[in-house]
Amino acid sequence: MDFANLASQLNTGTILPEGIVIITLLGVLIVDLILGRTSSRWIAYLAIAGLLAATVALYFQWDTTNPISFTGSFNGDDLSIVFRGIIALSAAVTILMSIRYIEQSGTALAEFIAILLSATLGGMFLSGASELVMIFISLETLSISSYLLTGYTKRDPRSNEAALKYLLIGASSTAVFLYGVSLLYGLSGGQTELGAIANGIANANAGQSLGLVIALVFVIAGIGFKISAAPFHQWTPDVYEGAPTPVIAFLSVGSKAAGFALAIRLLTTAFPLVAEEWKFVFTALAVLSMILGNVVALAQTSMKRMLAYSSIAQAGFVMIGMIAGTQAGYASMIFYLLVYLFMNLCGFTCIILFSLRTGTDQIAEYSGLYQKDPLLTLGLSISLLSLGGIPPLAGFFGKIYLFWAGWQAGLYWLVLLGLVTSVVSIYYYIRVVKMMVVKEPQEMSDVVKNYPEVRWDLPGLRPLQVGLVMTLIATTIAGVLSNPLFTLANNSISHTPMLEATLVKTTQVSAIAPEQSEGL
Amino acid sequence: MLSVLIWIPILSAIVIGFLPGKAIPASRIRLVCLTVAGIVLLWNLFILLKFDISNPGMQFTEYLPWNETLGLSYQLGVDGLSILMLILNSLLTWIAIYSTDKETERPRLFYSLILFVSGGVAGAFLAENLLLFFLFYELELIPFYLLISIWGGEKRSYAGIKFLIYTAVSGALILATFLGMVFLTGSTSFAFDAISTQTLSAGLQFVLLMGIILGFGIKIPLVPFHTWLPDAYVEASAPIAILLGGVLAKLGTYGLLRFGLGMFPDAWSVVAPNLAIWGAISAIYGSVIAIAQKDIKRMVAYSSIGHMGYVLLASASSTALALVGAVAQMFSHGLILAILFHLVGVIEAKVGTRELEKLNGLMSPIRGLPLISALLVLSGMASAGIPGLTGFVAEFIVFQGSFSAFPLPTLLCVASSGLTAVYFVILLNRTCFGKLDSNSAYYPKVLWSEKIPALVLAVLIIFLGIQPTWLVRWSEPTTTAMVATITPRETTIVSQVVLK
Repeated sequence: MDFANLASQLNTGTILPEGIVIITLLGVLIVDLILGRTSSRWIAYLAIAGLLAATVALYFQWDTTNPISFTGSFNGDDLSIVFRGIIALSAAVTILMSIRYIEQSGTALAEFIAILLSATLGGMFLSGASELVMIFISLETLSISSYLLTGYTKRDPRSNEAALKYLLIGASSTAVFLYGVSLLYGLSGGQTELGAIANGIANANAGQSLGLVIALVFVIAGIGFKISAAPFHQWTPDVYEGAPTPVIAFLSVGSKAAGFALAIRLLTTAFPLVAEEWKFVFTALAVLSMILGNVVALAQTSMKRMLAYSSIAQAGFVMIGMIAGTQAGYASMIFYLLVYLFMNLCGFTCIILFSLRTGTDQIAEYSGLYQKDPLLTLGLSISLLSLGGIPPLAGFFGKIYLFWAGWQAGLYWLVLLGLVTSVVSIYYYIRVVKMMVVKEPQEMSDVVKNYPEVRWDLPGLRPLQVGLVMTLIATTIAGVLSNPLFTLANNSISHTPMLEATLVKTTQVSAIAPEQSEGL
Repeated sequence: MLSVLIWIPILSAIVIGFLPGKAIPASRIRLVCLTVAGIVLLWNLFILLKFDISNPGMQFTEYLPWNETLGLSYQLGVDGLSILMLILNSLLTWIAIYSTDKETERPRLFYSLILFVSGGVAGAFLAENLLLFFLFYELELIPFYLLISIWGGEKRSYAGIKFLIYTAVSGALILATFLGMVFLTGSTSFAFDAISTQTLSAGLQFVLLMGIILGFGIKIPLVPFHTWLPDAYVEASAPIAILLGGVLAKLGTYGLLRFGLGMFPDAWSVVAPNLAIWGAISAIYGSVIAIAQKDIKRMVAYSSIGHMGYVLLASASSTALALVGAVAQMFSHGLILAILFHLVGVIEAKVGTRELEKLNGLMSPIRGLPLISALLVLSGMASAGIPGLTGFVAEFIVFQGSFSAFPLPTLLCVASSGLTAVYFVILLNRTCFGKLDSNSAYYPKVLWSEKIPALVLAVLIIFLGIQPTWLVRWSEPTTTAMVATITPRETTIVSQVVLK
């Protein structure tokens, strides 16, 4: 193999965005090593600039003619670009949030950013990984960084407990995932590349064999852990409650997006033979997640725990698009994850701001906030209502598209369940809005009575404000002006050759529909 | 032209809500809102003048592509069904703002929410795309929730949540049905004219129609789904109750006519007999429960359930006359409910109670509230269907149009109309007549500004009662055209069902 051939097979240009993130990571670490704490004034901006540069680099890779790189280990197709963009953006907003929070907790910012960037790196590589070892390594990069971030505020016992719990559950689910992956390697007769695995299994006539089903279930257990689908969700409430709030903002958006990217790539490419089976398993997961997440969230008294259950439920909604398996289904997933990025990060920014000023997360303590801090009230109300799917906010359009795609694919019961549980979710989202907006001045909580004067000029609060306003505006108008996002989501699916073979054609479904309708 | 009706209120709501500066007095904001609502009302009257009565189709249509993936387009139009509802909306918005307290707490939020709601309701009446309709329909949810639970009575928190959950369920049902309608008919767009349900099997049409009826039945509300209404109406402050009962309930009946009768004429004619009975039960139930109430606001609230039952009866009969009657009943019920809620609000503000046991002798010319009582008598009569007032005209057209189709439910509704007179006589007897309690009866004076909304509405009620052409001429061609789509198929469908 001559050098030119090797270079074209390596095709290193595709990982330019990740390269930028790595350089930023090293830069952050080295600067901190040399300058120490004094660098923390601007080091966060360096990291944000790096992440934005990576996003710009992603933009230039859109529709690249030759996405396969590193001899099949990494696939830089449009699908991966969208997911890598979501992860990079969520990390950028997370850094905006964490400057003040981490400083206030008395820990080092540079280390935090370095770990966060490596988690980002893991997520971005996971979005495009198309080889088993590569998948495992990037998954573990993401996971180990997440464990470290979870326990970062190490003087807080809850943070310690959360980290330990997360590590235990995460490590065992990784082990299960690894077992499933090793089964795949064996079943396919020694292939590690996803496409080759599918061919290998088909050639070995192992289609729908017991081994393949076991491998599938084990792999889904690993994925379900990352996207916190019930019944693999138990870590979520505890980790969300214990971990530093910016960390869970990243876990709820970036880590979840990485999990969905892995789910799409792995299941559609490596398991086309058992598509019915994994759709069935995911249907069960979606039903459980929607019911459990939405119903249990009703009873929460802590804001972070409430959002933990809500994020479980949101994962259930997103899975509808995945189960549909049509082009619209995948596109609606991506669109929902995009708007979920805005609304969830907006919500978490408000929660961070509130806990920075008052030091509490209890929902009851929010009462009467509108008088003291209107911007925070507006931001949290808009983001929660958007999560609940109220028009004309972004979440409404996201849910409509998910339900529409689900309905087109014939998932009537799932869509109806989604609608019903959305109604339930409106109740617990509006409860917080009620606390903040509806409560009278005399019903104000003690914490709000002693609310400090709203100031943005303290170090690290200005970026928080910028992040809040940007995500707030995006949440408000991304629904009404959603055409560019819709185009992005649709193109990312239709330009991805990997998915084409596995897409359930909509025409086939509608051909079946009249027969079903006569059955009614 | 029509966009103005939606966007002037919504944009001014946003401006008022986000205006910098804290210390703007409530009265000035109220004045600004009155001006905005007045402009919208004038614009609406202008559209009414330009409205071509002989044209049964959509007029003043507007079209902008919006989101093709979802089949969502910004498509507006007005026809005979919606033109009166639009007028009602902008008139009642103006009156509701006018009858607000000048010293409202948190005025900016209050007035911007009212304007927001008004724009949203106008959008729902104008929308010519199912998804756009649904968007505007759901837009009402949160503002009304806040309006009830911030500025309401004692149990407002409970009433607000109840309203929210019921309306959200109604929205979910409607959305599911809309998705089903569009997908099962194989249409690529949610536009009204792109959907024709005629290709669907009868069973499927029936299922979808049930979704529509249940979804809008919660909003109207029909009897088993009405339990949010007494709480929401009673706990809401008077202007909000006017908007809730006058405008929002019409969204339900409008939806039923537009999407139930308009899109499933075949299935509609199959379920119509049951609907007629349902409407009659609703009417009787509302009247009987109203008789038992001890609180005048609750009485008015239940009277609303009764009167909406007539609309269901008329829609079920779907003769040309009955449909004209349905639209007329929707409009006149809006006027009558608004004046009743306004008067009840004034009485509560002046006397300090709504209890039938405590109110007495308000008719007394010097120390009582004579003009308010007189207007209450007038509006009670209008509600009970006394000739010369608009309520009679509407109800009579409804009964006349429905009798040929469903004689028994019509008779039941006539009986319920009699019961309406019973509880309004009880109400008037206890509040207006009798003697004032000389120890406690030192009521504040009713200002002229507080009488004006009621006077305006009373004049309208009398005028439309004497000159009913102005009430019915707008909707006649459209409803006739709607009926024309039903009649030819009615016999075939019925015979098919019989054969099965």
